This record gives sequence, structure tokens and C-alpha cells, in this order.
Amino acid sequence: MNAVSRWIGERLPVSGRQFKELTNEPVPYHLKRWWFALGGTPAYLFIVQIFTGILLAFYYEAAPATAYRSVELITNEVAFGWFIRSVHKWAATLMIAAVILHQIRVFFTGAYRRPREINWFIGMCLLMCTLLTGFTGYSLVFEQLSFWGATVGANIADTTPLIGPFLKNMMLAGSSYNEATLSRFFILHAAVLPVTIVMLIAVHITVIRLQGVTEFRFKDEEGGTPKTFNFFPDHLYTELIIGLILMILLSALATIFPATMGPQANPLQTPEVIKPEWFFYVAFRWLKLFGGTFAILSMGFIIFTMFTWPFIDNWLRKHTKFQEASVWVGVVGALTVISLTVWEAVARH
Amino acid sequence: MTDAHNPAASEGQDRRQFLGKASRAAMIAGLAGGYGGFAAISLRYLYPTGTDDRLWLFVTETSRVRVGESIRYRGPSGETINITRQARNGDADDFIALSSTCPHLGCQVRWEAQNNRFHCPCHNGVFDPSGVAIGGPPGDAGQQLSRYELKVESGLLSIAVPPNRLAGADQKGEILAADDETSGPGHDPCLSCQQIHDSRMARSEDPRSANRSRST
Repeated sequence: MNAVSRWIGERLPVSGRQFKELTNEPVPYHLKRWWFALGGTPAYLFIVQIFTGILLAFYYEAAPATAYRSVELITNEVAFGWFIRSVHKWAATLMIAAVILHQIRVFFTGAYRRPREINWFIGMCLLMCTLLTGFTGYSLVFEQLSFWGATVGANIADTTPLIGPFLKNMMLAGSSYNEATLSRFFILHAAVLPVTIVMLIAVHITVIRLQGVTEFRFKDEEGGTPKTFNFFPDHLYTELIIGLILMILLSALATIFPATMGPQANPLQTPEVIKPEWFFYVAFRWLKLFGGTFAILSMGFIIFTMFTWPFIDNWLRKHTKFQEASVWVGVVGALTVISLTVWEAVARH
Repeated sequence: MTDAHNPAASEGQDRRQFLGKASRAAMIAGLAGGYGGFAAISLRYLYPTGTDDRLWLFVTETSRVRVGESIRYRGPSGETINITRQARNGDADDFIALSSTCPHLGCQVRWEAQNNRFHCPCHNGVFDPSGVAIGGPPGDAGQQLSRYELKVESGLLSIAVPPNRLAGADQKGEILAADDETSGPGHDPCLSCQQIHDSRMARSEDPRSANRSRST
């Protein structure tokens, strides 16, 4: 055994002990509480997405003539294809939900405040990339709903003042949905956005490591509670357990509610009811409520506000008496998002 | 503080150690089972699904092939097949469809009706009417010509061939002329070399081509 480790050590002069010391940062004790480990959840689900996505790409063909058939082949003919596709679909849903929950937790605990404004900004970029990945992935199936979802999405982008037509042309590779559109969505979904997400996650985690995790104390903690615990093995175990639970959950969801196939895209026939994926319900309802350019501009304004919230919050706390403004803004925002989502989910039109 | 003389304390420690080990084992088993299972599923997913990868194509009317006669047929993937009639009962057993590619080095074998055998001109490989090698290098190696399934319906002969997955929807075969030295998979490398060699020899013997090659 010694000879083997010496042989490897000579050729790969990496010390496991030193590596452990380097990466073994103390983790604040509050991370023993499960909901504070939500940041690792989307990261884990993202790995699941990369793995299942690569598997799906072995059979998927990104062209209008073959896309639907290839997804059908994966779902109905390839061994375990239905399972891989269902896991991919459910992991996407859970990933977006986990990103949103993580963001809500960071928001209400004020963990975005100085000096962590940049990491909030990177987190917002990750949220946008995740939503875009969801949108482009939904379009790849080439079902009626995914085709019309993409068409409506492009038409919404078209109403943006000044750059609207440019955005639509860039999105669809032309002025309307054409044979080059799907490959564009595919490259965005399978290459550009995942690589961007990987880079953003790397920066996100590096910044967390550099600044350390925000520490919280809770009133119900006992007097002798230590301030920190070890990353190895304690926090790693926590993440592994979360990984296992997610795996069980994903397998169960994929088996009980497998991904199905809607009717194939028909550019000549608009479906009676067009719905995007659930995470766009809020935006879709907002558009229906306000319509046209105002809806686009107001959404842009809201997203801009979300990006810059740490600075706005800082200004409010310094120059006004609204010290807890963020809580109220958060509550109102969360309630609005939830109610618009539910409204869109239950409404037929 | 643990007391070595306190049996209750040491029992508690034992229990804690046992639980620690048991939970670690459960964790490893869970990880190995869960992710190992997923890896197995992924491998099975990647392995091509075993569908019937054959295509039935019409070849000719049975009445157009006499007993002892052989036709050369090219499938959609380019493979050439000798279809030989050996009886006149009116069913598929009258015919035998054998690959015309010699299993020795890939030359094209020919049906010799007068000798009732398949013959490979490259290295004198000889095959009996059922495709089993009886002479030459393939005979020594115990090889045989690969066989294709046939069926006869209403006097029409059809053959099961591998489809050409790269050709799109247009899947068809063709009957080759008797003197068609075909190209494509299973073409005759030795004969091609021979032809090139012959043509070079002919050119070098031709004084006009010799002049031309000197001037260039």
C-alpha cells in the first residue's frame, strides 16, 4: 500500500492533507440548519442537469424535421430514455425552485448587504441564466406549446423599445421561427448558458470563500454552541445527504409523473391555450395585465431593481427611517409573484 | 468526561461508536446504490436499443430466376448479395441469398453454375451452394458467406437487408448486371489492384503514352 501511494505521490505531487487544510474552511454553525444549505441544492441539481443533458444530447436532433421525433424516440423507445428525460425535466423544475428559495433566504436574512453586494449581483445573473436555460430547454421539444411559447417569447422581446426587433432576430435567427431557430436554442441551452452558469458558480463560490459565509446567531441556541464547524467532513456529509434525498425525490417524481409528449408543433395552428413553463407564469400574467411596451419596461425596471437592491437598501437604511424596508419590499414582492403565478395557473386565458 | 470504570459510560460510548459506523456504512451503501444504479441506467440508455434492424425489400418475381441461376443484388447500404435459385417448389426455400463478399479478404465471390459452387478469384476460395467454404484460405479457416433471409409472397421474392440509416427515407436495392464489377463495401480490392496494374502495364507498353510521360 505504501509503495502504491509513494508511486502515485512521485507522479502526482499533491498532498491530500494539504488540500484538505486549504479547503477546510470553518463553516458557521447556523449551516447545521437545513434551510441554510439551500445554496448547494441548485448546484447539485445543476450537476444532475449536465449529466442527464449530455445523455439526452446523444439522441436529440436539433432540427424542426427531426426534433419531435428524436424526443419521442428518447421517451418511448430508448432504454430508460423516459427516465433520463423525466429526471432532466424534474431537476429543472426543482433547480429553479431551489434557486428562488435560496434567493428568498438570502434576501430575508439580509445576507446580500455590504460587503456581499457583488455576490448578490452574480446570484441574480445565475437566476437569469437558469430561467433562460429553462426557456430554451422547453422550446427544444418542438411540441405545440413549446413552439408557440418560443414564438410568443420572441414577440414579447420584439416589443422592447429600440432593440426589440434586434432581440427577436437574434433569438429566432430570422424575423420568424425558421429551420435555424432550433439549433440556436439548442446551442444556447446546451453550451452557452451552461458554460456561463459554470463560470458564474465558480465566481459565486470563490467570493463566498473569500468573504466567508454570513454568521447568524439564534435565540434558541444553547450557551455552549460553537461558532463554527468543519467543512470536512461535517458539511460535506450534509451536502451528501441532501444529494441523496434529492436523488430519491427526483427518481420518485420521474417515475410517478414522467415527462409526456404533447402534439407536434404546427406553425399553422395556434393552440387555444398557450402557457409557458410554471416559472414564467408570473411574467406571462404581468404581460396580460399590462400589455405591450409598458409591461416590458416595467418588468425590465423590476429586474433592474432586483439587481441593484443591495445598493438601494443601503441608501434607504442610511438616508431614511425605513430600516426594515427590505422585509416589506420582500413580502410584497413574494406575495405578488405567488399570487400572479397561482392566478396564471388556474386561469384558462 | 468519560470514566473508564463506569460501565454505563463505556456502554454509551460503544453504542455511539457503533451508531457512527453503522450510519457511515448506510451512507456509503446509499451513495453506491443510488449513484451506481443511476450509472447502470445511464449505460443501458446509451447502449443502442435492440430493435429489428432489418428492412424487407422486393427483389424480383420468382418466375424470372431459373433453377441454377444466380442474380447479383445490391442492398441500400451497398452490400452485394448473390441470390441463387436451387429448387422449384415455389417458396423461399428455393432460394439462397449469400453475401458476395468473401470472408477471407473481402473480394467478390461469383456463382459458377457449371461447378455448382461459389468461387473467389483472388485466392481461389471455394464455397458450396450453402455458402460454407470448402477450399482455399476461407476453407482452411472454416469460414462461410453470411446469409440473408428471404421470403416469397404471391410469387414475389423479398430480402431482409440492413437499412441505410444515413440515406434518409429512400431505401432501395437494385439488381446488378451480370458483368457489373461493383464498388462500395465489399468491392474487390485484389481485382482493382490487378486492373490498375494491367492498365499501367498497357500504358507503359504504349509508345504514345511513354512519350507523353517523358514530355511531362
